[in-house]
Amino acid sequence: MSISLSHLTKRYGADTVVDDVTVEIPESSLTAVLGPSGSGKSTLLKLIAGLESPDEGRVVIEGDDVTDVDPRYRDIGFCFQHYAPFRHMNVARNIGFGLRVRKQPKDVIDAKVAELIELVRLDGKAKSYPAQLSGGERQRMALARALAIEPRVLLLDEPFGALDALVRTELRQWVKELHRQIKVTTILVTHDQDEAMEVADQLLIMHEGRIEQAGEPTELYERPATDFVHGFLGPTTMFKGVSVRPHDLELVPASEGAIEGTVQSIMELGFEVQVTVALSDGTAPWVQMSRNEFRNLHVEIGSLVSIRERD
Amino acid sequence: MDTPAKRPSSELGAPPARKGWRRFSSRARSSLGLYGGTSLIVGYLSIIVLIPIAAVAAHGFSFSIHTQGWGAAFWHWHLSTGFATFWNDITQPAAISAIRLSLWLSLSVAAINAVMGVAIAWVLVRDKFPGKWFLEAFIDLPFALPTIVVGVVLLFLYGTASPLKIDLFETWMGLMLALLFVTLPFSVRAVQPVLESLDGESEAAAKSLGAGGIRTFVWVVLPSLWPAVLGGFGLAFARAIGEFGSISLIAGGLGRTTTASNYIYNLTQGFLWTNAAAVSTALLVLSLLILIATNVFARRIQRRLA
Repeated sequence: MSISLSHLTKRYGADTVVDDVTVEIPESSLTAVLGPSGSGKSTLLKLIAGLESPDEGRVVIEGDDVTDVDPRYRDIGFCFQHYAPFRHMNVARNIGFGLRVRKQPKDVIDAKVAELIELVRLDGKAKSYPAQLSGGERQRMALARALAIEPRVLLLDEPFGALDALVRTELRQWVKELHRQIKVTTILVTHDQDEAMEVADQLLIMHEGRIEQAGEPTELYERPATDFVHGFLGPTTMFKGVSVRPHDLELVPASEGAIEGTVQSIMELGFEVQVTVALSDGTAPWVQMSRNEFRNLHVEIGSLVSIRERD
Repeated sequence: MDTPAKRPSSELGAPPARKGWRRFSSRARSSLGLYGGTSLIVGYLSIIVLIPIAAVAAHGFSFSIHTQGWGAAFWHWHLSTGFATFWNDITQPAAISAIRLSLWLSLSVAAINAVMGVAIAWVLVRDKFPGKWFLEAFIDLPFALPTIVVGVVLLFLYGTASPLKIDLFETWMGLMLALLFVTLPFSVRAVQPVLESLDGESEAAAKSLGAGGIRTFVWVVLPSLWPAVLGGFGLAFARAIGEFGSISLIAGGLGRTTTASNYIYNLTQGFLWTNAAAVSTALLVLSLLILIATNVFARRIQRRLA
């Protein structure tokens, strides 16, 4: 169910947090809104949910203009950054909240809750209280609670932000898999480009309230429209006066016809090795390579090498 | 969960003979950061709170020698007959009706102010309006005003010569008005910080799930306020049951508006020290039971939330 935003603008006093955003979010996509903190991405999400109201512009979901519709009636599942659990309710009651509000019969609620508990793998936790759950479990409970109302759109605000690295990776994969199963149009907000690249099929890069670029992850990575997108989506280094990806550079034994320099520093990060080379023009680009490549190169700090762009 | 044996401090060498003391003191250190902190606090509490209350209770049970003041009566203990006297003192019809009046007045006042306290705290925390800072300061004023002044003012406003034509002299409503006034700050201040600490995300979540304002308040906000509301209820109740100054004047001299505190005061005016102590003790026990009940209840809720 597609979402289209047109000229959406939100100001807080003199600050324009969301600035004339016009974008189409395709139906059944898993879109990541990516940007540094303060870029307006969370506000954009709240504008879609109706938790904030825009100063200008429209929000259209599946052809319905919902700009002036109360969040209660938008049928949007929203997961908050800190999960916003109802702490005095157990897991089952948390998940069933939206259904009780909608005055569903008890057996319908019970069945739906049981189904969701299984879906988000919280079996055996139905009677637990949020305080007794781990961060990842709380996150999944919040997700189930949002899904219970069978929302037209699922909005996730920094869904993995508060989790430790291991759980985060696991949950990312799980969300991706979940989305593949239920196909509800999902927008997630993140400041982590790896996360965005890994999970999403659509990216929306935000910077200072504006959309810098929207499209598929690979497309954005390979053909960034602006310097900001280029810089934000992956590592960069300056070579011959332009910004390039360090893995697009390579080192070869010092030879004629190539730019020469001396190895300034070597950082071994497991599989990846980063080598910084000081050039005669005063710049010091760094090159990203695999461990094997590095071994075959036989260099150490002070070695003379040539640097060039990979073919 | 860690046992004393696991703590590195217990490996370091104080003599084993003082094990009992060390176990005690290490527990104290964990909360106060100094040896004997607990005993210090217990000592302080004893001097300030426990000893006076124990003295009142002990006096209430002592054999009645009515005429020679606290000192003389205090030392004449005959515990075998003490309880019978005590029971006799507190089951006087006048004593029972005074205690009954105090109890239901204090409970209702605490309940009414629990509701109003939430409402006022809500307005103070969530709303913006001109003069808010003034109201904010105004709330605590009943704390500062000598209660006898409250009594005089209420007598002037709602006495027989009421300029507002509202005569509440010698009525329970007059008493209630006085108690509502002096207990309000407790109810508001207990709830306010908790309301301030709510980040609004849960409410937004409820809203996005389709809940309206009232349902969000009752289903989501109120449950997290319960422990604080109960805490405020307990404090307001305790304050109300012990209140004397503000109600002593508007109560007049009728039996049906004589509260426990009033009754006790009347007893002391007749030098009936032991009777006064006995009724005080009964009042203390009842208050303690109610305070324990609210505390237990609040803790039980709190444990779930934490």
